[in-house]
Amino acid sequence: MTPVSPHAASTIAPTLLARVAKGEQQALSQLYDVSSTLLFSIALRILGHREEAAELLQEVYLEIWSKVVRYDVGRGTPIAWLITLTRSRAIDRLRMRGTRTRPTSVQAVNSHTTPPLTDYNPPPVEAQADQELRTHVSNILSTLPQAQQQAIELAYYEGLSHTEISVRLNQPVESVKTRLKLGMAKLRESLRHDWVQNERP
Amino acid sequence: MTHEELEDVIPLYAIGTLERAERQAIEAHLLSGCVPCHTALKEYQSVAVMLPFGLNMSAPPRGLKARLMAARTMTVATEPVDQHTGKPSLEPGEWMNHLFPPETSSRAESLGWTLALAAVAIIAGVAYLAWAAYNTKIREDTVKLTQLQEQLTVGNSKLAAQQLLLNERERMLAETQEELRRTRTAMAELKDQLIQREAELDGVNAQLAQQNTRRRSIPQDELAALLRTPAIKAVALAGTEMSRHASGTLFYDDRTKRAWFYALNLPANSNGTTYQLWAMYEKPAPIGVFQIGTGATSQMFAKPLPTFMSAKKFAVSLEPSGGSPEPTGPLYLLSQPQS
Repeated sequence: MTPVSPHAASTIAPTLLARVAKGEQQALSQLYDVSSTLLFSIALRILGHREEAAELLQEVYLEIWSKVVRYDVGRGTPIAWLITLTRSRAIDRLRMRGTRTRPTSVQAVNSHTTPPLTDYNPPPVEAQADQELRTHVSNILSTLPQAQQQAIELAYYEGLSHTEISVRLNQPVESVKTRLKLGMAKLRESLRHDWVQNERP
Repeated sequence: MTHEELEDVIPLYAIGTLERAERQAIEAHLLSGCVPCHTALKEYQSVAVMLPFGLNMSAPPRGLKARLMAARTMTVATEPVDQHTGKPSLEPGEWMNHLFPPETSSRAESLGWTLALAAVAIIAGVAYLAWAAYNTKIREDTVKLTQLQEQLTVGNSKLAAQQLLLNERERMLAETQEELRRTRTAMAELKDQLIQREAELDGVNAQLAQQNTRRRSIPQDELAALLRTPAIKAVALAGTEMSRHASGTLFYDDRTKRAWFYALNLPANSNGTTYQLWAMYEKPAPIGVFQIGTGATSQMFAKPLPTFMSAKKFAVSLEPSGGSPEPTGPLYLLSQPQS
């Protein structure tokens, strides 16, 4: 049976992390329910292997639980902290593995790694806020030219420097930099409208 | 790198593609407190965090949560677990007890009428008992050995888990030490840069002070030279309805074609406006513009006009910034008609 979470990953309250820091078992359980699908999806996208992604996710949650007291609300939202930690650990693992021959799209990962039904949960039921945010971000990303999208994905999901991306794509470094800047600038402009709306009382 | 160059690569910094030297340059710049760059970085970091929401979602394995919660519980309750598992389940004494099985009762009826048969029966019974005891001992030894092997396996697994935990902690400690070393190096570099910037700033301040001194001295020198001129012409300007308490004085030397204007009690002009001095002929001719701050006076040197002496009147009006070719705003100062 799929657990239905009433909370959205994108709106995890800092008070939940404060409860986790106090060692409340229920808070730990709630944090996992709300965030595990998103964090697992990130780990899977970066590592490309479900067992390895699950192993990494377990390490990440143990680290979250041991380091949650260090979380500073002034430096970002709870989900930003969790995403950054997961991405960072997954990229570390990717670099240790030394394998850079990764799928370059989400579709590639999903098509190559279909899990046995007995071992994995069915597609999760998402909170409405997460659904809306995912649709919005996907729409914005789809408006970027393919070259910009590819450069951003190589940077974010494989942790490559612009020099490494230029080697991978066989393109000049300045061209890669320009693609990254243009893509990020367009995403910033598109998302800024939402930030302004969210900051309104 | 200039501020513009650094601001330009902030999106690359936010998504983590910069090389080490570029990263250090950006971080030093951010430490200097550049507000626009801080704002841009915060927004680009928010963009980076939004990217995973564009992924197709995949749920983690079913048993992962249970494993995590168990691992968490084991971490918290390490001490009680160790108390139970620290003591072997079989003490040496207990093990020795099992080497000798409990006695089994076996009785053979003796009919008494044939001693030989009884002797044979006794010998057979003793032989059977010895065989049964031997078999029982072997079975129990095998069971105990299996139990001990299982306990040994469990103990080895726990030891391996503890070893992994220890290795992980050692790795994290090494990483923290390395990070601390890098931070110290970066701090030392930043300190050197700061000292260098302070030295440069002192030099610029000294140059600026010299330039200000030079600039301030010019009007005074010019006025002194002008006042020493015998044929100097002075024109008084009075405040209009717009500024009743304001006044102005215009000195003009026809020989050198130089003019000096001094205004007093004019209201401060707002941003985007400027005061403009006019020589009023049949058509007004602009002489120059000047600014007035709150409670300030103003001095202005004007370029000479060929027909300056033939002007009927002089006036000051408020115009858009940069001045106008002819008066468009209200008059604030006005002289009497010249003879």
